Amino acid sequence: MKTQSEIKLQSILSAMQAEPLTDETDAVVTGCYISDLLSDVLAHSQPGMLWLTIQTHRNVVSVAATKEIAAVLFTCGRRPEASIIGEAAEEGIVLLTTPLTTYEAAAKLWEAGLRE
Amino acid sequence: MNSAPAIQNSAGASDARKVSVAQILVYELRVRDAMSKPLITAAPGDSLRSIQNLMKARRISGVPITEDEKLLGLISIEDIINALSKAYIDESAEKHMARNVIALRDHFSLVRAVAEFDRHEFGRFPVLDSNDHLVGIITRGDITNCLMHHLERRAEEAVAHEATLVAERSADEKAKRVVVRMHVKSGDFDTAGRLSQRIRQVLRDRGIEPDARRRAAIVAYEAETNIIIHSIGGKITATIYPDRVIIEAVDEGPGIENMDLAMQEGWSTAGPLARSLGFGAGMGLPNIKKCSDRFEIHSELGPGTQLHSEILLRKAGTPS
Repeated sequence: MKTQSEIKLQSILSAMQAEPLTDETDAVVTGCYISDLLSDVLAHSQPGMLWLTIQTHRNVVSVAATKEIAAVLFTCGRRPEASIIGEAAEEGIVLLTTPLTTYEAAAKLWEAGLRE
Repeated sequence: MNSAPAIQNSAGASDARKVSVAQILVYELRVRDAMSKPLITAAPGDSLRSIQNLMKARRISGVPITEDEKLLGLISIEDIINALSKAYIDESAEKHMARNVIALRDHFSLVRAVAEFDRHEFGRFPVLDSNDHLVGIITRGDITNCLMHHLERRAEEAVAHEATLVAERSADEKAKRVVVRMHVKSGDFDTAGRLSQRIRQVLRDRGIEPDARRRAAIVAYEAETNIIIHSIGGKITATIYPDRVIIEAVDEGPGIENMDLAMQEGWSTAGPLARSLGFGAGMGLPNIKKCSDRFEIHSELGPGTQLHSEILLRKAGTPS
């Protein structure tokens, strides 16, 4: 498997068993960051990344917007309220949910070749 | 029982305010604005055949018959068809014209003109001025054209107005500072991020490079959530100058007990609710410090905490 620094979300949706929550899903993500602590994400994520978290509070959208994160994948089957999905759509942030655990989802991303 | 009609009245009033531009125009515009003016008329002695030729040449369907600018009657295309089928096409207009023609006044509003068209089902009305002189002729098509023309002009004016506003605002913002002030309530996790969003917006509009933009947004976000999580309330002021953003967060207490610990990554006094929402990483103040070009914090147990952060700005694409 060829590794790459960026990957089309669309190409890994089925591997991650991910369900898009926002309409827009043809985003490209340039790496991944995993954390459930907001300040940690603010400090260590990079713009354009995919963020894996179990947090579904609207502050997730605020943090993602502040850090210009491209997409958020909620793991363990969690999903935010509809109003939060609306806010994300307005900010141009893609939201996805998967029944996989964070670890399983991360493993799928690694297998898909996203190694940053 | 009094409240129900009151509600209805207010709803009615707000509906009445929502009048479309077309509706306003129908009241504002007059018959004289819409009528055709280079007036094609015929004399009472003209033959119906000459009037038929006139209609064909000028592509019109009705000709007023006048004498000394006074309206005597009207010959319509229906009159010509009758004349052809009953073979009196060479007779004079005077003999066959409709008399007692209903005319509109040039000062009538278009809404009244439309009502007259609905009432009489005529294809056209001659238009008279206040001296009873024939000054024009009006059809439904003239009214439509006139409305379309004015709507288009209004739309162009609105677009031009909008463009000036945008230009003025951006010139203003380049020259001046923008101040965003916000009161922050303790425990109000739901509104966190508004200040940060506004700062990002202003900086993006000004073409500030992404790194400084994000640092300013992070400082604002962390300062705001600090007040929400740890204080009993406070306020944040962000002043955006062309070359820097100054963020000042002042809370009303209770103050930070141990500043060295607070500035240490991973140390947090956040409660279980804040933690369950992903706050309390113990990285708020360290993040603010790291993102600031200048950082000062002063805290006293009781009166509270004052935080001052500055982020220097560069335009995207300019060398550092």
